[in-house]
Amino acid sequence: MAVYHADALVIRSREYGESDRVLTLFSREMGKIQAVAKGVRKPKSRQRAGAQLFTYGDFLIHKGKSLDTVSQCSPKESFSYLWSDLDRSLAASAMAELLDISTISGQPNAELFTLTLTCLFLLEQYETSLLLSAYALRLMVILGYRPHLGDCVECGERLQGERLFFSSEAGGTLCGRCRESYSGRMVRAGSIAFMRQLIQADLSKLDRLRWAAWMREEVLETLRHYLEHKFERPLKSWRLGNTISDGLERHIRSLNGKEGKEFE
Amino acid sequence: MDFLNYPQPLADLISSLARLPGIGPKTAGRLAFYLLQQPQISQDLAQAILTANHSLKKCSICSNFTDQDPCALCQNPQRDSTELCVVEHPRDVVSLEKTKEFKGRYHVLHGVLSPMEGIGPEQLTINLLLKRLKGVQEVVMALNPTVEGEATALYLARLLKPLGIKVTRIAHGLPVGGDLEYADEVTIARALEGRRQL
Repeated sequence: MAVYHADALVIRSREYGESDRVLTLFSREMGKIQAVAKGVRKPKSRQRAGAQLFTYGDFLIHKGKSLDTVSQCSPKESFSYLWSDLDRSLAASAMAELLDISTISGQPNAELFTLTLTCLFLLEQYETSLLLSAYALRLMVILGYRPHLGDCVECGERLQGERLFFSSEAGGTLCGRCRESYSGRMVRAGSIAFMRQLIQADLSKLDRLRWAAWMREEVLETLRHYLEHKFERPLKSWRLGNTISDGLERHIRSLNGKEGKEFE
Repeated sequence: MDFLNYPQPLADLISSLARLPGIGPKTAGRLAFYLLQQPQISQDLAQAILTANHSLKKCSICSNFTDQDPCALCQNPQRDSTELCVVEHPRDVVSLEKTKEFKGRYHVLHGVLSPMEGIGPEQLTINLLLKRLKGVQEVVMALNPTVEGEATALYLARLLKPLGIKVTRIAHGLPVGGDLEYADEVTIARALEGRRQL
């Protein structure tokens, strides 16, 4: 198989050498692939558009000794809204990073491919953190890491109360008796129920779900802990998404404060 | 690595050269042997690297590399201080200066926001940029047309627009001398979006 076709999505793209890029592609048939796109940083390159992050297209790839080489790419969708919306672009980065760290090269997963592509299409209209949370939870379900939400992971007891104990280590909620040997965090029952809905609800009707600011914060934080624990590494994009929003607010505050006076 | 069989100083030279971007072990080996055969070139190269490292620093105003602080561009009274051009790398300043089209001042970010690589606003020179906005009427975003470049431009636009500063973006589209037939769909779409009246 010296040359092969891949119906794939660019989930990572980093500069390489003089004018090349190393692309991480997630394809329907072959799973994760790493390939060099040569000369794509030059203005005359025809593959330039296809080598951009989050481009979905048909790639013709030459098999190499260590790295494969992209010889042609025809973009089918470039998700152009990501170029003009910072929040959506950050959410897409978090989704792509999650997909990258949770998968192994050469292991196809058509369900995960469809989920990712669907979520990238839906991200244009949906609230970013709602879709990101649903994506993360569904990815975990597909990969076999579905968190136990609402009953005890250890003994199966149906849990009740305002706040429930969630342990990333145990993989879900725990009852009072079983929690002793685990570390975890208290999460409001409403947030746990909402996470269940995020897994079960029809993706196309996800925008009907409503959540309060506290619930959003709690769900995102609980999920981040859970994902980082399972994949044993920090989720840079997920964390940076918050940092960037905080940094923006801090910069705006500083401009409205001291530096802002210069404009008055 | 096969160069481990070389004498230690040569192996060190090869492995140091191989750490440079775009240079693999084979090229590093070739360069190392060439340098050994050309003592004068080696001497000049070593001296130039040391001098550049010692004498160059980042300009305290625009963050471009300079041997004097502030840099020549920031000191030049002929430059229009109401226009500021934001670029990713110092080499982008050189590319823009070659055009002789831009008469304002520059600001070098030394990167773009890249969440997956862990590069956030704190790693860029955004704080310095915010300190030099007095009298600035227009900020031109001359960042690469990539998702990361766009995200950085959007981030800065969100900060600067409320201050009443005009924020513009360099055009995207077909390269001069390029052929429409060979251009990709995304570029043509961008070129159509950015069309202007004749």
